[in-house]
Amino acid sequence: MLNIFKTFLLGELIKGLRLTLGYFFRKKITVRYPEEKAPQSPRFRGLHALRRYPNGEERCIGCKLCEAVCPALAITIESDVGLDGTRRTTRYDIDLFKCIYCGFCEEACPVDAVVETRIHEYHMEVKGENILTKDKLLALGDRYETMIAADKAADAAYR
Amino acid sequence: MSGGSLLSDHTRSEIDRWVAKFPEGRQRSALLSALQVAQHENKGYLTRDIMDAVAEYLNLQPIEVYEVATFYSMFETKPVGRHSISVCTNISCMLRGADDIVNHLEQRLGIKLGESSDDGKFYLKMEEECLAACCGAPMMMVNHQYYENLTAQKVDKIIEKLDKQD
Amino acid sequence: MGSDLVNIEVNGVKLAVPSGQMLIEATDRADIYVPRFCYHRKLSVAANCRMCLVEVEKAPKPLPACATPVAEGMKVFTRSDAAISAQKATMEFLLINHPLDCPICDQGGECELQDLAMGFGRDVARYSERKRVVKDKDLGPLISTDMTRCIHCTRCVRFGQEIAGIQELGAIGRSEYMEITTYVERSVDHELSGNIIDLCPVGALNNKPYRYSARAWEMVAKPLISPHDCIGSNIYAHVLRGTLKRVVPRDNEQINESWISDRDRYSYEGIYSQDRLDKPMLKRDREWLEVSWDRAIEATSSLISSAASGEGDALGILASPNSTLEELYLLNELACHYGCNNLDHRLRVSDFRDQDSDPTWLSLGCEIAEIEQQDGILVVGSNIRMDTPILAHRVRSAALCGASVGFVSPEVYEYHFPQTAYLHAPAETFVSMFVGVLAAALDILGDKPPAWIANALKGINIESEHRETAAVLLNKENSILLLGHFALRHPSFADIRATAAALTELTGSKLGYIPEGANSTGAALAGVLPHRGVGGVKRGDPCGLNVQEMLNSPRRAYLLYGFEPEFDLTNPALANDALSAADTVVCFSPFVTESLLDQADVLLPIATYAETDGTFVNAAGVWQSFNAAVDCVGDAKPGWRLLRALGNAIGITDCEYRSVEDVREALEAKLGSRKSSNRYRGKFPVSLMVPEIGEKVLDVPIYLTDGIVRRGTALQQTQIAQVARQGKSIQG
Repeated sequence: MLNIFKTFLLGELIKGLRLTLGYFFRKKITVRYPEEKAPQSPRFRGLHALRRYPNGEERCIGCKLCEAVCPALAITIESDVGLDGTRRTTRYDIDLFKCIYCGFCEEACPVDAVVETRIHEYHMEVKGENILTKDKLLALGDRYETMIAADKAADAAYR
Repeated sequence: MSGGSLLSDHTRSEIDRWVAKFPEGRQRSALLSALQVAQHENKGYLTRDIMDAVAEYLNLQPIEVYEVATFYSMFETKPVGRHSISVCTNISCMLRGADDIVNHLEQRLGIKLGESSDDGKFYLKMEEECLAACCGAPMMMVNHQYYENLTAQKVDKIIEKLDKQD
Repeated sequence: MGSDLVNIEVNGVKLAVPSGQMLIEATDRADIYVPRFCYHRKLSVAANCRMCLVEVEKAPKPLPACATPVAEGMKVFTRSDAAISAQKATMEFLLINHPLDCPICDQGGECELQDLAMGFGRDVARYSERKRVVKDKDLGPLISTDMTRCIHCTRCVRFGQEIAGIQELGAIGRSEYMEITTYVERSVDHELSGNIIDLCPVGALNNKPYRYSARAWEMVAKPLISPHDCIGSNIYAHVLRGTLKRVVPRDNEQINESWISDRDRYSYEGIYSQDRLDKPMLKRDREWLEVSWDRAIEATSSLISSAASGEGDALGILASPNSTLEELYLLNELACHYGCNNLDHRLRVSDFRDQDSDPTWLSLGCEIAEIEQQDGILVVGSNIRMDTPILAHRVRSAALCGASVGFVSPEVYEYHFPQTAYLHAPAETFVSMFVGVLAAALDILGDKPPAWIANALKGINIESEHRETAAVLLNKENSILLLGHFALRHPSFADIRATAAALTELTGSKLGYIPEGANSTGAALAGVLPHRGVGGVKRGDPCGLNVQEMLNSPRRAYLLYGFEPEFDLTNPALANDALSAADTVVCFSPFVTESLLDQADVLLPIATYAETDGTFVNAAGVWQSFNAAVDCVGDAKPGWRLLRALGNAIGITDCEYRSVEDVREALEAKLGSRKSSNRYRGKFPVSLMVPEIGEKVLDVPIYLTDGIVRRGTALQQTQIAQVARQGKSIQG
């Protein structure tokens, strides 16, 4: 009986509209992407990069732990004796279509060589561009090193 | 057994004497004594050629000889001074002032422990452990001879005597 | 070791073990794991790593399981608090100086120290002092060193002393300053030295050509059989994305125990050599064209058919004894199709006079493991260490157990075990020296020689060295005479063999052969012989031409299978003339060389041992089948597939094999028995006259035996190869 009254008096509708009205006057949280951007954690996992030491030496030592840990088998590495006699990669490919951005590679890396940057705005136009080769990864690392280093430092206290 | 042309007749006969003490085919057991004889002959140290000669004479692999020669602190595998001086720095001697003796020697000879003097006469051995003469501490051993109850003056006398020898 | 059993109790489990055994042997057999570094079941006990400490009831301190003999009523606890804490303490000491470079260490992932550190190591080190650093040693082109990682288990040192017989590595210095080294910078040259890589529990000694190219966990281990000698050593190919990264031994107590020779370990580099033929090629008007497989097979079949149809004798087929059983059988079928009896695999043999007295196949005369149980071994005409390193190790084991071992050798080879006799017999006087041994044996026993040999015995002066050599086989319960590669290649092989047969008959010894190649047994079974077909059944009369005759009286067409005429034949110059004169030369080869380009009309790339399925039959008659481990290089194809396709193209009936198993079954159906008896039934009139040896190749250095080995880059850099190269300019 009561339900019939409730139904005909549109009580539920008014309740709902009240909430809408409340939000209408509240401060807006919608972000006008891409002009505005939501804040990011330093742990954000976006595009990959390979880092270098400040003296320009590649960090990666070709241990292949990232390749082993990758659940999506997105990483392919080949290694050999480098020019200086150390273990170096001759090929380091990340397939962005396979990658699930879990960040395990970054966790597994003993020398903080492979990292996932905050960069998440990228696209591919040509087939094959989804493969990040070693050169591309190193270039990304060089380009965003300041940001990567700052993010690492921000997160260091929690590790 | 053959070869060992670097070894003198005396050394060889000494080695033979030692080899004879062990059963046939166990000439390896005579290696320690053989090296001692060879080292003595060569003014207190062994060279690679001498070790090779001993290996050849005893019919051993050279590496077997190197192993023994590098293991024992009595063998020197690098050129050292003629007179080998080892000052005991183990506990009894240390308590009775062995460190002073070492310092005195270092100053007098102008070398550090483990070094040989420039004239090739003296060699101060590194890290010599207890030489079992605690009752006469502090003590040192020079060319296998023990000198006990040392003082700086005593050490000087010993050194002077050795200096005059040749 | 006594055979009586004692009762012990390990972790509450009652065990009855033979007295005299060490605790660790008992626990290993009972599948109770005790951690260890220095203990290895094939080496002597050193007890210097202390990792295997276990608690024994009533013993005041933990005891090392590897050096504690079992005793009646012993109660052992391998997992008790005392045992575990002792093991953890040992581990902590070991890790004080061990570097933390597992990510770049080639041993990472297969490291005994890494594994045990997971079980017994502390999470955090209590030592903050600097770790010691040891200079790396240069041990030659095969073994890389990272001596800082060494934990001084001395397995490598003991391997040198006990297995190789020559101590090349030693531990110099003491305590903190102890180092494993050769002392002077010299390489480790023994032909089994690569095994120290497997023995090393850490990453101190590693495989140099393989260095840093893969990780242990990403490779797949595929079982293979070594293709370089008649032993058939069992190996694993470690494969990454279809390429062979390294070779390691596969345990087989009957054949190679846990060792392999360096030749078996490092030859794989040859598979990826620049010389690999990767496309079928056809010569048209002196120009080489790369063609499709269909075209190549078609061209081959028409070339062979036009040369050999209706006149099988115009064709000569030569096959490498390293080919698989299936390939050889299909070659035999091809020959049968044309009624061609000219086929042979005995590429380096030069004396065929007494070939009808050959056994079905040249057998070792006993199992490989049985060599160790002989009490007399006479090795005739073999540089056995270089020809068959694993067999040489067995002979050495026998010698160390007290067997008399004698040699009749053309040169003075170095052996690291007691030898009873060493008869130096140069090639020119080899027969008379060897007959001298027979004469001495007859003289000692006061026996009369068989009539067919009596003539040769006249005018032999019996010297004391002959007597000493004969004594090796005399009055022995279990003795064997082995005829090696040199004897088999000798132009007086028939005389040597007849003498050997008479000698073994006289002394009651076994007669054994060490045949060349991985599969000469298979070749004989498959009928790749001019005088015998499948299973050793006699071919028609007169029989076909052997390799020498085929080259001496050139054929119109040749089919070469899996070898290089300039290196693998007794007389390369003769081969060159014959091949250049022929109308058609079809060559199945994994490799291409200048002279093949010059001589051949068709070049068909075939797979090497790692790329094909197949079977090798070793000298003891053991059939060992294997599957392809890696992808073929380029367009190369497994030989049996090509021969089957060629068979279809030329119209061989019933050539519808779909797998090597089908081929093998077809062969087995035709094969009466797989057995062979080395009993000599011939009556060859022995003569002391040795035909001129001339240019003939009698001694082939270990790292020049076949095409794959010759292209093993690391092997060619070894001391052994360098010395051989200086001695002979085989490689040109």
